[in-house]
Amino acid sequence: MAKPVVEKRYTLSERIYLVEILKGMVLTWRHFIFNFRASFRPGPHTVPTCWQYPEDRREISPIFRGEHMLLLDEQGRELCVGCGMCAKACPAQCITVKMAKVPEGEEGRYAGKTCSQSFNIDLLRCIFCGFCEETCPKGAIVLGQGYELARYTPEECQLGKERLISNFRDAKAKGTLKPPRKPVPVAGEAAKEAEEKGSKAKGTRTGPATARKAAPPKA
Amino acid sequence: MNDWVIAIIKVVFIWVWTLLVAVVMTWVERRGAAMIQDRLGPNRAGPFGLFQPLADGIKLFTKEDIIPANANRILFILGPILFSLPAFSAYAVVPFGDKIVIAGKEIILQVSDVNVGFLYVVALGSMAVYGVIVGGWASNNKFSILGGLRSTAQLISYEVPWGLALLAAALVYGTFSLREISIAQQGTFLGFLPNWGIFRQPLGFLLFIVAAYAEANRVPFDLPEAESEIVAGYHTEYGSMRLGLYLFGEYVNLCTLSALMVTLYFGSWHLPYLNMEAFLGPISYGIASFLVFFLKVSFFLWLFVWVRWTVPRFRYDQVMGLGWKSLIPLALANLFVTALAIQLTV
Ligand code: SF4
Ligand code: SF4
Repeated sequence: MAKPVVEKRYTLSERIYLVEILKGMVLTWRHFIFNFRASFRPGPHTVPTCWQYPEDRREISPIFRGEHMLLLDEQGRELCVGCGMCAKACPAQCITVKMAKVPEGEEGRYAGKTCSQSFNIDLLRCIFCGFCEETCPKGAIVLGQGYELARYTPEECQLGKERLISNFRDAKAKGTLKPPRKPVPVAGEAAKEAEEKGSKAKGTRTGPATARKAAPPKA
Repeated sequence: MNDWVIAIIKVVFIWVWTLLVAVVMTWVERRGAAMIQDRLGPNRAGPFGLFQPLADGIKLFTKEDIIPANANRILFILGPILFSLPAFSAYAVVPFGDKIVIAGKEIILQVSDVNVGFLYVVALGSMAVYGVIVGGWASNNKFSILGGLRSTAQLISYEVPWGLALLAAALVYGTFSLREISIAQQGTFLGFLPNWGIFRQPLGFLLFIVAAYAEANRVPFDLPEAESEIVAGYHTEYGSMRLGLYLFGEYVNLCTLSALMVTLYFGSWHLPYLNMEAFLGPISYGIASFLVFFLKVSFFLWLFVWVRWTVPRFRYDQVMGLGWKSLIPLALANLFVTALAIQLTV
């Protein structure tokens, strides 16, 4: 059905434009004055809608999917067992993992019996879908909050093991690690769980709702 | 001092001054637009981004100068020059202050006091359309030619109410010389209003300002370069400093039109209720009159920016309809009433 056409009758003041233009100018003037004043205040983030990028950064959601990292456990052992599941799952096929037996005498460095001999992510091809993180049986690979990934050469965009682990160390030091993901429940269990929770969980949202809020202006 | 030297100094001064104002205007326009739209605008180059025009200039100068293969080379080069030259020349007859007395010699702050100053400005204003149409035609591009044609039609339509509004003003002042018009606006009108043109010709001013926006191709009448319809209109094919000349010419045009508005309708260099000449020294009076004049001009320059970011673009038929069906009858009525009033009072 076609949308009914509403014939709007303009009043005289609307038809001679002038009054309406003046009204509009009052509105734009208010915006101008507000932002003009704000731009004189000290500090980088004075105009509420503008982030002055290098000095002033947006707050990033904890579930942001940025630069990858390989996690270590509490004893500082690598979690990755080099199974290659992530490489299989990756739609962009940008992960290369070589599995190896943990060498003699280095058991303290690795959590599993096997480990990744080399691990490489081609960031130029990665689409930051997060599938690698989702598939990993050990929860060893996680997408972090780093987003400044521009480099001068393609070689620098290869994410090797060293950088992956140092990303983890940096994130841990900054406290930007996301909380460990809840294991995905098996279908039958999930249904039962949902039944149990039933009415009381209805409508309540879990998850980091606070992260959605834009950063307040630092006046 | 030699009269020649004085004349050359005046010419150079007003040239440099207009150039400077046009340069600063590009910055004002961008930052003003940003502030109105809740942004910040260019604020990195220098304090408050004030050096942004310099950066833009360097960029425009160092860019490759491309002339399209099938363009008409001569006209293509001529276009921007034809556009910016009249804009500059029109400033010659606009008084930018009263007079300054240096070493016993009275210098009038106006490049030349032509007794048909009025007509000169109108004639040069219509010249600018050549730059637009020639540029649009020479580019050999459908959007350019459309822009050029729109500009021609628009300018011709709005020249009429513009001229009629000016004619009514000329009736009121009884002269074509812009300096005499400025001087005539001293004192008060009806005992309590400043004796400015706007109080004698309110409708005339309204017609003038609307037509001026159309003449300058500014929003809401920027159809010759409507981005959302015809890319960039007549200067679609232009790049590097040729484009720069077009953009620059536009700002110089704004300066001239603002100066004209101030001269005709806003008391030129006079302050309301205050005769500066009475209590200022000869030199300081000259400077003060220039500053007052310029302050008023800057308000109108800002008004151009302000309106640009408030009002959406008119549709083409609305532009033509407004020009022919509202402004011209109004201008005629205004002229008639003015003439009648003058007949009855004199
Ligand atoms: S990151 Fe996870 S999925 Fe990838 S190889 Fe290591 S353990 Fe396997
Ligand atoms: S985020 Fe997606 S594309 Fe990037 S490495 Fe992981 S699975 Fe591959």
